[in-house]
Amino acid sequence: MLNTPATIGRSTVRNRIVFTAHLTGFAEDGLPSARHVAYYAERARTAGLVITEEHAVHPDDHPYEHMIRGHDPAVLPGYRALTEAVHAHGSLVLAQLNHNGPQASSLYSRAPVRGPVALPDPLFREVPVALTEADLDELVAAYADVARRCVDGGFDGVELQCSQASLLRCLLALPGVADRTGLLLRVLEAVRAELGDRILGVRLGHEDGVDVLAVARLLESRVDYLSTTVGVATSSLYLVEPSMHTPPGYAADVAAAIRAAVGVPVVAVGRFTAPEQGETVLREGRADLVGFARGLIAGPRFERACVGCNQECVGRVGLNLPLGCAVNPRAGHELQPPQARTARRRVTVVGGGPAGLRAAATAAARGHAVTLVERERLGGQLALAAEAPGRAELGHVVRDLIAECRAAGVSFLDGEPDLDAEVVVLATGARPTRRWAAASDVRDVLDGSVSPSGSVLVVDELGFHHATSVAELLARRGCAVEIVTPGMVVGQDLGLTLDREGFRRRAHALGIRCTTDTLVTDVGDAVTLVHHPTGRTEVRRYDAVVGALPPEPADELWETLRGRPGVYRIGDCLAPRRMDAAIRDGERVAVNL
Amino acid sequence: MLGEAVRVGSRIAPSRVLFGPHVTNLGRGRSFSERHRAYYAARAEGGCGVIVCETASVHPSDRPYERAPEPGWAAVAGSCGPALLLASLGHSGSQGTSAFTGRALWGASRIPDVVSREVPQVVEQPEIDALVAGFAAAAARAVADGLDGVELNAGQHSLLRQFLSGLTNTRTDAYGEDRTLLLRQVLAAVRAAVGDAVVGLRLCVDELAPWAGLTPEQLLPLTPKLRDLVDYLVPVRGSGLSVSATRPDLHTPPGFNRALAGTFLGRGLDVVLQGSVVDPGMAEAAVAEGFALVEMTRAQIADPRLVAHVRAGTPERIRPCTLANQHRARDPRNPLITDEAEPRSGHETLDPPLPHAPRPRTGPPLLVVGGGPAGLEAARTAALLGRPVRLLERADRLGGMLRVAAALPARGRFGLLVHWWARELERLGVEVQLGVEAGPADLVGDVLLATGSVPSAPAFEVGAGVRVSSAAEAAGAYGPGDRVVVHDPIGDWTGVAVAEQVAAAGVPCALVTPDAVAGTQLSRTGDLADANARLERAGVERVLFARVRAVGGGRAVVEDVHHGAIRELPATLVIDCAHRLPDLRLAGHPRIGDCLAPRTVHEAVRDARRAVGC
Repeated sequence: MLNTPATIGRSTVRNRIVFTAHLTGFAEDGLPSARHVAYYAERARTAGLVITEEHAVHPDDHPYEHMIRGHDPAVLPGYRALTEAVHAHGSLVLAQLNHNGPQASSLYSRAPVRGPVALPDPLFREVPVALTEADLDELVAAYADVARRCVDGGFDGVELQCSQASLLRCLLALPGVADRTGLLLRVLEAVRAELGDRILGVRLGHEDGVDVLAVARLLESRVDYLSTTVGVATSSLYLVEPSMHTPPGYAADVAAAIRAAVGVPVVAVGRFTAPEQGETVLREGRADLVGFARGLIAGPRFERACVGCNQECVGRVGLNLPLGCAVNPRAGHELQPPQARTARRRVTVVGGGPAGLRAAATAAARGHAVTLVERERLGGQLALAAEAPGRAELGHVVRDLIAECRAAGVSFLDGEPDLDAEVVVLATGARPTRRWAAASDVRDVLDGSVSPSGSVLVVDELGFHHATSVAELLARRGCAVEIVTPGMVVGQDLGLTLDREGFRRRAHALGIRCTTDTLVTDVGDAVTLVHHPTGRTEVRRYDAVVGALPPEPADELWETLRGRPGVYRIGDCLAPRRMDAAIRDGERVAVNL
Repeated sequence: MLGEAVRVGSRIAPSRVLFGPHVTNLGRGRSFSERHRAYYAARAEGGCGVIVCETASVHPSDRPYERAPEPGWAAVAGSCGPALLLASLGHSGSQGTSAFTGRALWGASRIPDVVSREVPQVVEQPEIDALVAGFAAAAARAVADGLDGVELNAGQHSLLRQFLSGLTNTRTDAYGEDRTLLLRQVLAAVRAAVGDAVVGLRLCVDELAPWAGLTPEQLLPLTPKLRDLVDYLVPVRGSGLSVSATRPDLHTPPGFNRALAGTFLGRGLDVVLQGSVVDPGMAEAAVAEGFALVEMTRAQIADPRLVAHVRAGTPERIRPCTLANQHRARDPRNPLITDEAEPRSGHETLDPPLPHAPRPRTGPPLLVVGGGPAGLEAARTAALLGRPVRLLERADRLGGMLRVAAALPARGRFGLLVHWWARELERLGVEVQLGVEAGPADLVGDVLLATGSVPSAPAFEVGAGVRVSSAAEAAGAYGPGDRVVVHDPIGDWTGVAVAEQVAAAGVPCALVTPDAVAGTQLSRTGDLADANARLERAGVERVLFARVRAVGGGRAVVEDVHHGAIRELPATLVIDCAHRLPDLRLAGHPRIGDCLAPRTVHEAVRDARRAVGC
């Protein structure tokens, strides 16, 4: 069903796969860039309907640096390049129009943010200036102006954001607003007048305090489709773009409820990672179309799954960086043409973790004769990390990489590597740091070589899932777990991947204790802890201590082969980092062969 | 003395004041831009002697922030008249980020930076050779582009420091046996590349970590070797372990490096005093003590005409620098460099200049209601533009919220701005009436409303048995026997400072924040870690990830923002540091500052200038 055409308004879309709107950070000086064009075109091969990231309808709305200035006529050439590239694949493309209202910053506009009432947003925390009637008239005209420009630019229609982060959403949701839908209806009327028969849709979000079904019914006769989401970008982003701990399709109930209430097509969204999940939703009659954002970022042709790690998509955009993807190193770099291949060469890849697998798959796909040598299990530390609670989807990364290797003809070997091959890629990984003889490493827990019981101290120097996921594993086994970090926050980077809220809920339920600003200086019969802001030293006893410490590169082979032409090292044996870095290293070395 | 010319190497600088290298985000991508040009030119025009450009990365492996410049100075060359214009050259090493390059960071040893936790790749001889060549090539390029020389960055954020320091260099090769080897190789290569052009060295001489880090005692023996290679030395302090040490905020006293840098005087090297020097008197004294130059970077961001005022004998007219660090550009959002009270800084190509001297008084009269920063700046700029101005302030003193802020611990420098504005208004002949509450009848002719803000109603339930005060009204609201809960849903400096003040009075205090740390927005000023440590040491309990739900009966009920667990804190007084709301009591005329939307001094000044048409 996913591949059957659908009717939206007076248009027909060739399939029911939607690449839904999401921030990319690709705009240059506020204009759509060549990077945008290549990125959307790549997904238009699969998605019948592409919806771009939001375009600002008014210059006073500039909440983040790289926002598309829809109000600026200079966007037109970019619009045309983008729409032509999507149309070349027979797909339709809509522009999402938005004004973020008070969910915004004055940093770039250098003018106060504006909103329905003088109530600050919980994230940006700036008190807005209340909009006047004249402001609202200006806004309606601004939406219409940008819609007209979208028509000129070749878009097949527009979507109005009335969810996540928008003035239209704030009017529906904020306390103290008298007329909740008046502006939305005026905007719809004005935009419709510009669009004629082109597609006009609205994205609605489920959130507390908004009767989304009533809004949907009100909009039914005025729109061609409704898209959906859950959560608010500036207070519950972890619901909008949840991580691996949230199951695929978690938000489909919203689409199903709206579809039952209205007669226009409805788009379901919510961490769909594979086309089969979309098929199921359609078959069950819960939606008419299925949105994939991260799913198509990771696998533009569903060739690999998004695992919801959120490291390089959500994590980077949250830091004002252009979007990437941990498992798809080409995401956001579609413009870079592949290097011309050198002659077919014999390539030995030593090590079957993510770096080695990626290098082998890409090198083999480029026609080289690749042998990958791994004496233990394929997947390296990723396979191990997938053993932790809620992290099983990391196993999909390994699964997909192995499948890519096999499809490309990589030979797998568990014996001695041929180090005389023309190209030798060392991806030998890293091993746990043994700083204290009396402590074990998170990897020892995950591979079962130790099973601590009783009271356990987990030492977090990595600031990510290593400590927190193993702490959860041990707490579930009945251990009394404490995580200690020298940093200000346990699992600091969980905030970037939107894992913090879930971790804190689970940790609370499991009774995991979190201690910050504290160095572990010695582990013996007892543990010495130093609270560095005060210098206070404590000696405590635990039944076991588990370290999540920066590991040490396993670089003995490099020591032997250093300086020889055709020898490269990638991944953790170069510098121990995370999955995204390993995969990027693997891709980079292979595309240059 | 400060305004006198001085020899720097083979060149002559027109004054002894140096504008140090700092992140501006003024680039076009990674290139120096016309915005940089205007920014540096404004300081040169104001009398600055030596201008050191934003540090450029000498090798593609280094891109510490999005607009970190690459070598290539044509856009700024020739912009600074008689002032010396130098290129700063550096490599951030393990203190950079892999976010832009997608590649492992370079490090002397495999020691992750404390902040980013990124484990670097240990550079081997080919990378070291490329690094040395990169420094030399960039230096040659700077001189070829028309600059007067270069300054090498071996300061707090640099790979050269990481090689020098026992904290970050545990190598066993020649670069570990002699940790100064790389620096000396780089200096020799750079000197060979630039001939007699100026070579300066910014060198960390104290990492504030004496157990393994750099100390002045370690570095003093290096000075004879530096004599032939460098024309001046800027001793600075700080390492990856002391993030705020080099350009700390107003919690650190101005001129904090004087004793440290002084140990390098009298060794045949021209020494530059760096470190929150903002007062010309202190700078003059430093010159008298033997410093060749004085770095006054933030002081000249606040007032580009600092040296001109010193020369004219009007130092009292220099706009004070607050040292609050609230407008640093090193921030993932890429803000442009600017100043708390001088928003044109960093926006020289966007905002029109104000006249230096008042225009003849011919314009229509203006009434300004309110003597906080917005009203003061509106009165000042309108008077400069030639308008007769009357300012009404209902309190008996000028300053508005600035006075409240200045009364908080360590924030006294905000009060300097009030005094400066008062002096300027007097000089410009503004008629200031204190203790006058303007009524609707006063609002005749051209009027600007700058009446400030009022507290918002508490977002929590308030029952009997607990007093609630806003942050602005909290001074004196507590005493012995009180238990204070500071409710801080905003996370700027206010809640932290209020809690410190309560604790300093010996009153038990807890700070409740929805965030993972207290004062989360202080990451932008560099004070975040220090602020949390100060609260710890002061005995303030930080109740994180929480918000106040209800108060009453001697308790505050707080709820975890994620899992909803409820906790009760003893409380007799809750100080609510939530946002304030515009004071809307007067209407019918344009609003500026907090009575438009409560924000900071910076926005108040912006509003004021826009309202008077500049």
